Amino acid sequence: MEPLPYVDHFGLSASDLRSALGAALSSGGDFAEIFMEHRSYDFINMEEDIIKETAESVSLGLGIRVIRGDRTGFGYTNDLALDKVRKTAETAAAIARRKAPQTPPPPLRDRTRRSDRFPVRRPADRAPLRDKIKLVREAYDAAKRYDPRIVKVKAYHSDSLTHVCIANSEGLLVRDTRPMVKLVCVAISEDGGKRESGFWGGGGRVGLEFFRDVHTPREIGREAAREAMLLLEAVDAPAGEMPIVLAPGHSGVLIHEAVGHLLEADFNRKKTSIFWNKMGRRVGSDLVTIFDDPTIPSFRGSYNVDDEGTPPRRTLLIERGVVRGLLQDKLSARLMGGAPLTGHGRRQDYGHWPIPRMSNTYIGPGLDHPDDILRSVPKGLYVASLSGGQVEDSGKFTFSVSLGHLIEDGRLTAPVKQATLIGTNIDILRKIDRVGSDLAFGLQTGTCSKDGQDVPVSDGCPTLRIAKMTVGGRT
Amino acid sequence: MTARREKALSAPALRDLAGELAAYARACGADEAEVSVMDGYEFNVDVRKGRIEALIEAGSRSAGLRVIKGKKTAYASSSDLDMMTLRRLVRNAVRRAELGNPDEFAGLAPLVKDRIDPATLDLYDPAIAELDSRQKIALARETERLALRDKRITNSYGATFGSNEIHSVLALSNGFVGEYKQTYCGLGVGLQAGDTDNRVEDSWSSSKRHFKDLETPEAIARKAVERTVRQLNPRKVPTQNVPVIFDPTQTGWLLGFLFGCVTGTAVYQKATFLEGKLGQRIGNERVTVIDDGLRPGALGSHPFDSDGLPCRRTMVVEKGVLKSYLCNHYAARKLGLASTGSADGSGVGPGNFYLEPGPDAKAPEDIIAGTPKGLLLTRTLGHGLNGVTGDISRGAFGLWIEDGHVAYPVTEVTISGNLGRILETIEAVGTDLEFLGAVSGPTVKVAEMTVAGQ
Repeated sequence: MEPLPYVDHFGLSASDLRSALGAALSSGGDFAEIFMEHRSYDFINMEEDIIKETAESVSLGLGIRVIRGDRTGFGYTNDLALDKVRKTAETAAAIARRKAPQTPPPPLRDRTRRSDRFPVRRPADRAPLRDKIKLVREAYDAAKRYDPRIVKVKAYHSDSLTHVCIANSEGLLVRDTRPMVKLVCVAISEDGGKRESGFWGGGGRVGLEFFRDVHTPREIGREAAREAMLLLEAVDAPAGEMPIVLAPGHSGVLIHEAVGHLLEADFNRKKTSIFWNKMGRRVGSDLVTIFDDPTIPSFRGSYNVDDEGTPPRRTLLIERGVVRGLLQDKLSARLMGGAPLTGHGRRQDYGHWPIPRMSNTYIGPGLDHPDDILRSVPKGLYVASLSGGQVEDSGKFTFSVSLGHLIEDGRLTAPVKQATLIGTNIDILRKIDRVGSDLAFGLQTGTCSKDGQDVPVSDGCPTLRIAKMTVGGRT
Repeated sequence: MTARREKALSAPALRDLAGELAAYARACGADEAEVSVMDGYEFNVDVRKGRIEALIEAGSRSAGLRVIKGKKTAYASSSDLDMMTLRRLVRNAVRRAELGNPDEFAGLAPLVKDRIDPATLDLYDPAIAELDSRQKIALARETERLALRDKRITNSYGATFGSNEIHSVLALSNGFVGEYKQTYCGLGVGLQAGDTDNRVEDSWSSSKRHFKDLETPEAIARKAVERTVRQLNPRKVPTQNVPVIFDPTQTGWLLGFLFGCVTGTAVYQKATFLEGKLGQRIGNERVTVIDDGLRPGALGSHPFDSDGLPCRRTMVVEKGVLKSYLCNHYAARKLGLASTGSADGSGVGPGNFYLEPGPDAKAPEDIIAGTPKGLLLTRTLGHGLNGVTGDISRGAFGLWIEDGHVAYPVTEVTISGNLGRILETIEAVGTDLEFLGAVSGPTVKVAEMTVAGQ
């Protein structure tokens, strides 16, 4: 798919941008950047057996950032008239507060890459609404028909197409076009006064072919219903410390929380992260190798360039238990003495400045057969699906199980209701004592929040055993 | 650094734009149309270790649209207020509505005569617009400086001052036009104590509509320091069932969870364990919960909701009995109830939703003093809330209570329980209700929850 020329969306020529960058540097900033964004978004919601509503949204604007030393000035506008853009540049410029001879920024050179990590065959933005409604209905009907005890279903489809154009005072001009698709189903089951809910979904930076080739709407609906039905029979999770086995795929949330966030460069530059003084040091068992990779084709967390225009690369975070890398953005890399950029500067939208973020984070596969891992646990908890987690800089982190199973004598027994698990990362990473060969990625529906900014991410892991972790169940 | 604000659209222009779009939607064939237009201005400064780290100043606008045609609904929104874009979105919405299914409950709320004068709600503080950037920066800097004087504090997340001014207009094709201006301001600081491998953290912030109501830098710094350092040298307790005392920040999320469970939207979707419980006892006599959208100067107050209906005060739970769900016009029609003026976009939002201390409310110190053994919950980590079942399971931090006194801090445990059970077993409610946000509550003591640890 050929991206549209940026002038069609933003109405600003390269010389307009250069002049705005000049205005942004007028108070003596070291670096200035303009991030332009146009996003169109479509949404279809089905509940109560009807296509209840559809929505369309357009977001257009630009953000201008000026850096002087360790200070950032930022302004944004959704009025792209040239005088408003200049005004925004001057507002951002004020952070520098220094009289300086104004040297014009170098001419902009377009470095837009030809390679495209999003090989979309049926672009969602060009598909007729009817086709998308059909997908929603299929998921909805599959969940509803799964069992008479499925009493309510909600299914929705959303897709967006985002064009970004980034220009900076180093002469960079780069564009990217990023599609996103998501189909999600929530099913509610009810039996004898008991009620539970199940969730499933799929998507990514893909076209509608995803729902034919990878996960069908029927699968998504049925999986949501299956989870809701299983939970009707679920027992309360046990409480206290016990061995944990994580199912492959979405259990990668553990790595996202326990490791990924605290290796974001800003927390290390500010020395708030427990990892800041542990580069090159062992923090986990030698079975643990962790990557963040924004270059995986079609994944939700992927991009061709990050939101600062840097080509991303797969970044090794932990190698056989030893801290090896950080996720960098331009500001942290500069302030950390010119550390290499990794292409992890991301932002929610034009109204926010970029900060170091994860993309697709995963723990590499080990050698164990998943069945052997399960068989090795006489009594414990198996985590089948997760609904998110949280971490603080001390390394304390949680993740919430939405469906689990008891493990008894190396076999899965009764389903277990939701529970939150808590631990400290450097303790839990040491307790990962079995790693399976079955690396898989979770549902492509995840969103990560940091400093009030949401960005799409995904995570993955093979079957894992943690020798002991605290489970927030009941006694 | 005192860039004055430049108004993107003046008041009549915003009003005209909303009215014009509603009329255009009707002209395009919509039976009904609702248009909201927002013009906002944001200032935010982050100061860390005495230096300005980041400063944002920006204005932004957006428009939202709902059209109904043949009982079918379509929405649209845009941050591009170019008339061509907006008209295209209106035409698309009318066309798109036809692809949906008729919904007998779809439709705009009727035009009501009762109007609330925004001036009586005291939502706008002109002093915020008058504040100089330097004053705002100085407040953040002072707050952090005071906090860092305490030698037990080993690192700073920085201090932030932020303010917003928002002008909103709502126009309905039935002739309703309403508008109001509101302001917010906030000041806060986040801290760490302890060495790298034994860090503890917490923060405090104050958020108000009026600048004069903000807590002082001294008060904010003191609370942030106290909340942080009292966690130093924590222990992990054995797994057990004990009473849990929620400090007001924690009652805040508990009530936020309850709010989600009493919305009419969750009720008709059967996504709440309180479905079918209207008029029934859902808690003990200590549970009185009110949603008051008309409290002057409070953060959750508004003259009208996004359906154009007047906001109001609603008794949600009275002495344990569920008196009312909170509904927008749509959920109310679906459930055969009356709207409570709680529409917020296409969903339901709180006015000022709070737990009211009753006649037997106690000073929080007395609640602690009357607890032989238990956990005083001061912070949680993770989500772990399930509205369908009412189940709660979250990572927890707090202070262990023994013989009515704080014995030591607790870390890396979880608390679990069920909201329904919690409401039935509230043993004490504190007198310390403060309106810290749109959802607020006092200290609350719950008879028993599972604390999982060692």
